[in-house]
Formats: sequence, C-alpha cells, structure tokens
Amino acid sequence: MDRLRFPGHGDALRWTVIMDEKTAALASLDGLVLAVQRGSRAALKRLYELESRRLYGIALRIVRRPDVAADALQEVFVQVWQNAASFAPERGSAAAWLTGIARFRALDAVRKLGREVLSDDPALGDRADEPDMAAEIDLRVAQGALRRCLDALDDKQRRCIVLAFVDGLSHAEIAERLPAPLGSVKSWVRRGLLALRSCLEP
Amino acid sequence: MIPATPQELDSLAGEYVLGVLEPEAAREVEAALPHHEELRRAVAFWQERLHPLAALADPAEPPPEAWQRIESRLDAPPAMAPSLWRSLALWRSAAVIAAAIAACLIVYIALAPPAAPAYVAVLRAPQQQTPAFLATGDRNRLLVRSVAPEQPPHDRSFELWEIPPGAKPLSLGVLPADLRLERSALPQPLADGTALAISIEPKAGSPTGQPTGPVVFVGTVLAAK
Repeated sequence: MDRLRFPGHGDALRWTVIMDEKTAALASLDGLVLAVQRGSRAALKRLYELESRRLYGIALRIVRRPDVAADALQEVFVQVWQNAASFAPERGSAAAWLTGIARFRALDAVRKLGREVLSDDPALGDRADEPDMAAEIDLRVAQGALRRCLDALDDKQRRCIVLAFVDGLSHAEIAERLPAPLGSVKSWVRRGLLALRSCLEP
Repeated sequence: MIPATPQELDSLAGEYVLGVLEPEAAREVEAALPHHEELRRAVAFWQERLHPLAALADPAEPPPEAWQRIESRLDAPPAMAPSLWRSLALWRSAAVIAAAIAACLIVYIALAPPAAPAYVAVLRAPQQQTPAFLATGDRNRLLVRSVAPEQPPHDRSFELWEIPPGAKPLSLGVLPADLRLERSALPQPLADGTALAISIEPKAGSPTGQPTGPVVFVGTVLAAK
C-alpha cells in the first residue's frame, strides 16, 4: 500500500523548502491529511487551525445559519478523522477534498432542514441586489484555467453553476432565484458544465 | 442508470459534484463509484477543477467551542449494531453451526460432481497490471486470497464487496490478517460480469454497509469454462 499511496515523500520535503509560503501551506495540507490517515491527532488539530475558517465559511454560505454551519463543520472534521483513508493524493489535492466534504455535509444539513427554516438575516441570506457575478469571480477566484473558462461561459450558465456550487441551490431554487423556468435552468447547468469541461481540458 | 457516453458521464459527474442531482440519482452515482473507474475519474476532475470557486464564500470564525466538540467525538466508538449482534453466545453458537455446515460442505464437495460453472477473477489496483488478489469459486462460494505484498494502512482493514451488474455493492466481509477470505452462501449468486472490489475501511469494516473508503482493487468475475 505504501507504494501506492505515499509517493515521493523525500521530494515533497525538498520542494516545500523552495516553494513560496502560500504554496508550501497548501502542499502541507496534503501532508497533514496523510498524517491523519496514520492516526495523528496533532495533524487533525493543525488541519483544523488552518482550514476551519475556510470550511466553516463554505458551510455557512450554503446553510446560512451559524448553529447549523457549526454542526456541519463538526461532521466534516469527524469524517476527516474517520475517513482520512479515502484521501488519495494522486487523485486530487487535500484542499479540494476538504471543500468537497464541507459542501456535501452542508448540503445534507440543508436537505434535512428544508430551506424554509433558513435565516432571513440580511447579513447571511439573500442579498437584495444580486452582485455582479463575473466581477466577483474576477476579484476572488484565483487566476487560472477555471476563471478563464468561467469568463467564457454565457452569463446564465455561469450564474447557475455558481449558485449551485457556492450557494448550494438546487435546480428548483436556482429557477426561483433567477427567475427562470426549471427546464431552462437544468439545461443551462448541463451546457455550462459541458462548455467548462471542453474549455478546461480541450 | 449511469450513462455510457463520455459526454453524459461528464455532465452527470458535474451535476453530482455541484449537488443538484435528485437524492435518488445522487445515491445511484455513489453506488456506482466504487466499480466505475471513468465515473470516479470524472467526479475527481470536477471536484478538483471547481474547487477554486469555493473562494467566493467568505471565511468565517467558527464558534470557539467547535474544536472541543469535535475532539470529544474522536474517541467515540463507531455506531454499534443492536446488542444481539454483540452477544458472544450468539457468535459462539453461530461458529459451531458454521463449522458443522462447513464440514458437511466438504463432504458434499468431495462426493458431488461440480454442477455449477466455476468462476475466477483477478483483482488489481486501478491502472495497474500486477494482480493483487485472486478469487475463485462457483455460483455460491468464493475464495479470495492475496497474491501480492499489499497490506491495508495502519489501523484500517480491507473489505471485500460483491457488485452484481447494475446493483449496489454487497459486503462479503473484512479480510482477516492473512488476507484470505472464504465465503459460502453469497448474498447474490456470482454470475458473469459480477464485479469484486476491495476498499479501505475502518478496522471493523464499513459502518454504513456501503464502501466508505477508496476502492483499491477491482476485478470482474468470468466463467472459467
């Protein structure tokens, strides 16, 4: 198993030294999850210190209620602890793996509660004025293939994908938010995904 | 059904990662993941490539007691089955009965000509050529044994799964330390095209009845004619 799962430890150490600080922090997330796999609680704690604000923010954006987001965060780290073995560095980064767990746990919580009980606190809930999504993406998403390919999508496709990924909205909720017919939303999501796919990996 | 064309597979995987699939469709994707390499790759693609979008959510300070609440759950034993299943007496008598059945089977096998076709499968790590496990059996019995030095990670177990075509994985049990597992009375009779898979699970096996860790070895059952 070691041969399959922990390739090139020595290389990782050498590279960490010469990488800039931010990249080094990200590379060490992988190392931390691998240490959690081997049962290190200290590594889990460090992972919490580094990632809990980001993951709590992701969950809060989806569930929009601090108490529910805190429960989701708890589920995230318990799952990371019990299920660290499902992380495989050859399949993707620890940061993306953690994001996926946080989003799925938040989506579970939303489905369990139903949207109707969600907060109407304006600081957390729907914003009255829909921000300019393209501008927000340019401002906040790291420069790279995804940003370039999102910019190339048509506005409706981009909006659907962001509302689903970032806000955790279902097809029906997106249809209500835009507003647009449900069938159109479904096809914008699909066509948006296919356009992204061919742009990201032509 | 999991679509066959690459395009449909990609958009299904994308919808799964976005979280817009209906619960039933999402469960279908989850059930197919352990034995569907292309689907697994497509899901990993979207998970990795969409991840930068998560930067649109503002980081926020979790409540101060959150870490303590997590820590208090780390030692909790995994959810236990009903107490009957923990009864030592039950297991003792089950073991005695099983031994008796096994003894009868040996006599039966020795005397009876093989009626059902024999099946074989070679389990490999995805994209590896080297066999890791060999499985042999007939419709209702299976013997799986290790043919490579692979071991589960520390404090984890290998769990064996039978996946009839188009169905959810069925657990055949956790592989013991010698990585050799014999099963009779399979939950579903083997057939051409049944997949066998081994996943990494908590020491006592998957707590959910479905694979929870990565699938590390897979193979398809073929009739040895």
